[in-house]
Amino acid sequence: MIMNSPLMIGFLALTVLTCGSAFLMLWTKNVLHAALAMFMTMLGLAGFYVLAFADVMAVSHLMIYVGGVLILILFGIMMTGQRTSKTGQTNELFTEQKGRFWAFFIGLTVFFGLSWLLGQQDFYAFSDMDQQSKLGRVGLSFMLEYSFPFELTGVFLLIALVGATYIAKNHE
Amino acid sequence: MNEIPLIFFLWVGAFLFATGLSIILIKRNVIFVLMGVELMLNAANLNLIAFSRGDDQNQGLMMGLFVLVIGVCEMSIALAIILQVYRRFKKIDIDQFQSRN
Repeated sequence: MIMNSPLMIGFLALTVLTCGSAFLMLWTKNVLHAALAMFMTMLGLAGFYVLAFADVMAVSHLMIYVGGVLILILFGIMMTGQRTSKTGQTNELFTEQKGRFWAFFIGLTVFFGLSWLLGQQDFYAFSDMDQQSKLGRVGLSFMLEYSFPFELTGVFLLIALVGATYIAKNHE
Repeated sequence: MNEIPLIFFLWVGAFLFATGLSIILIKRNVIFVLMGVELMLNAANLNLIAFSRGDDQNQGLMMGLFVLVIGVCEMSIALAIILQVYRRFKKIDIDQFQSRN
């Protein structure tokens, strides 16, 4: 039975980790706590990629999100003055919330709507799932059929980095 | 038959997407909203990877890698803009921006 396999148990544990931290991100008012919760969410997502037999994606996701984006967000929190809470404790960064009911309602609607919509479909796989590493084939694909988007992505990355540096410069 | 059914991945993706949307709607801090955008981006990415599982050409996987790069570019530029907004207005709440009608 599929429900008792170790793969499934791992999947359930990752689901608890990912969805729990995502919900914590929604719940907390502290930006730093949200950044920590986002870190846990990204860890869980990397685990999901491993379970979907996409090891390349898992490793690059870990490197980019946990190593890069999270540091960027922490720098952003640090360099923009955050409001502290009303109790005056300096460690508590406080974010205002508005329209709680509607946001919750819309979120629930989107979740159940998407679940219903996806449950209606009858997906099937093109081929058998091979459980080998996909690193070699991804590298070949980058050089063969995806070579133009690959080069374009490189140029795009360079432009984005130069642009971000220019925008963030002190223009005074 | 030792694989996780596809629909489970799709459910997790739907949950993450809905959570990201709620974060965008609720929070009044621009950095918080940006985190919600990242969450939605990753939910879509999870769907791509899950569908790519049964595809011997790995199309979803390649698309996911490109999405990852675009997401990082968006994040770095958005944080640079937020920094500049903070320098000018000393605040990064969304409610501070009001149109002059």
